Amino acid sequence: MSSEFDISRNITIGQYVPTGSFIHRLDPRIKLLIFVFLVVAIALNTSYIGNAVGLILSLYLFWASKIPISYGLSGVKPAIPFIIILAVLQLLFQGQLFSGGKVFVDYGFILITSESIRLVIVSAVRFIEIIFLSSVLTLSTSTTELTHSIQSLLSPLKKMNFPVHEISLITTISIRFVPTFAIEMEKMMKAQASRGADFGSGSWWRIIQRTKEMFPIIIPLFNIALARAEDLILAMEARCYTPGGERSTYSVYKAVTKDYLILLVGLLLTLLLLFYPFPI
Amino acid sequence: MKKSLTVRDIVIAGVLGAVAILLGVTRLGYIPVPTAAGNATIMHIPAIIGGIMQGPVVGLIVGAIFGISSFLNATVPLFKDPMVAILPRLFIGVVAWLVYAGIRRKSEYLAVAVAAFLGTLTNTVLVLTMAVIRHYMTPGVAWTVGVTNGIPEAIVGTIVTLAVVLAWKQIGKNKKSKISQDL
Repeated sequence: MSSEFDISRNITIGQYVPTGSFIHRLDPRIKLLIFVFLVVAIALNTSYIGNAVGLILSLYLFWASKIPISYGLSGVKPAIPFIIILAVLQLLFQGQLFSGGKVFVDYGFILITSESIRLVIVSAVRFIEIIFLSSVLTLSTSTTELTHSIQSLLSPLKKMNFPVHEISLITTISIRFVPTFAIEMEKMMKAQASRGADFGSGSWWRIIQRTKEMFPIIIPLFNIALARAEDLILAMEARCYTPGGERSTYSVYKAVTKDYLILLVGLLLTLLLLFYPFPI
Repeated sequence: MKKSLTVRDIVIAGVLGAVAILLGVTRLGYIPVPTAAGNATIMHIPAIIGGIMQGPVVGLIVGAIFGISSFLNATVPLFKDPMVAILPRLFIGVVAWLVYAGIRRKSEYLAVAVAAFLGTLTNTVLVLTMAVIRHYMTPGVAWTVGVTNGIPEAIVGTIVTLAVVLAWKQIGKNKKSKISQDL
C-alpha cells in the first residue's frame, strides 16, 4: 500500500555494478566517446548485417564487463508491448513510403514490402542495441567519472568561450539534487494523502482528472526546487564562487596505450557501421 | 548569447534539470492518455521555466538535460533514438524565451502564458516531425497524435508554468532565504 510513495528508494540513477572488469578500468573519457560514436552509427545504420554486428557487439560488451545480462534485459522487458505495437503500426502503414523491393501483400491501403519489413526489424533491433550499450556504459561508470569525462572531453571548446566547467557543474548539481527532491516529493505526497488527496486512482482515460491530481505535487515541487536554488546561490556567492575562474580537479585521468587501442577499435567499428555497404 | 554564465544561471539550470530528471524517473511527468504516443508529458516544463527565468542559454541547457535523461530512460523505441529524444528538446527553452522577451513589455502574465503554450507546441511539433523523418510514424498518425495529445498538453503546460513562475516572482520579492531559519 505504502509502496506508491517510496519514490526515493526506487530511483536507480547512476546505478553502478562494480565487477572490476577490463571495461570498468578503461578511461571513462574513452568509454563515453566510443559510446557516442557507436550510438550515432547504430542509429543511422539500416542494414540487417550491420545491426547484427551491433547486437553481437553489445552482447560482447556485456560479457566483457562481467555485468549480468539480466540488467540489460530488465531495460528491454517493459518495452516489449511498445515494440510490438510499433512494429504492427509500421508494418501496416509505412508500406506506401517504403514501396521499394519485393511486394508481399497488397490489399487496399495495406502494402507490405521487403523494405517495410526491413524497417520493422531494424528499428526493433536498433532499440535493443541502444538499451544494451547505454546499460553497459552507466553500469560500468560512476556518475562522477561521467561528469568529469564530459568536462574533460569538452575542454578544447574553452578556447571558443564555451562554458565547459559551468556545464559540468550544472550536470553535477542536477544529479546531486535528484534524490533530495525525491525525498521532498515523498514528504509532500504523504502530506497531501493524509489530507485525503487521491493520486493515480482516477481512471486512465480521464485525462483532466489525472492532471488535476498532480497539481498539488508538481507546483510545490517547483517552488521547493527554486527556494533551494536561492539558498545554493547565496551559499556559493558567500564562498566567492566566480564562474569562469581557473580550477584544477581532484582526479586526473591519464589515457594509456590500451585506452588508445580501444578507441581505435571503436572508431573502426563506427566507420564500418556507417560507411561499409552491407549486402543486405 | 551571453559571454559567461552567472552563479544564478548555473544553479537554476542545475536545479531545473534535476526536476526534469525526477519527473522522468518517477514517471510523475507522464500523464497516460489513450493515443499512439501513450503519454502526455509535463517534463518539458522545467525547460520552459528556465528559458523564461534565465534566458535562452539556461533554457537550452535544461532542454538538453531533459532530452538526455529521456533518451537514457526511454522504454519506447521512438525515444531511444537520439535524433528524436535530444535534438528537438534543445529548442523548447529557446522558443519560450523568444516569445516571452517579445511580449513581456505588454503584459507579464500574457507573456508567460503564451511562452509556455508555444514552448510546449515546439516540443510536440518538433518531436513528431523528427518521428516522421525517422520513419517511426506516418504523417497521418503524427497529425492525430499532434491534435489529440499536443493540445491538452499545451493547456496543462500553460497552467503549470503560470502557477510556478508567478509563485517564484513572489519568492524573489521577499528575498527570503531558508538558511537563516534552519540547516
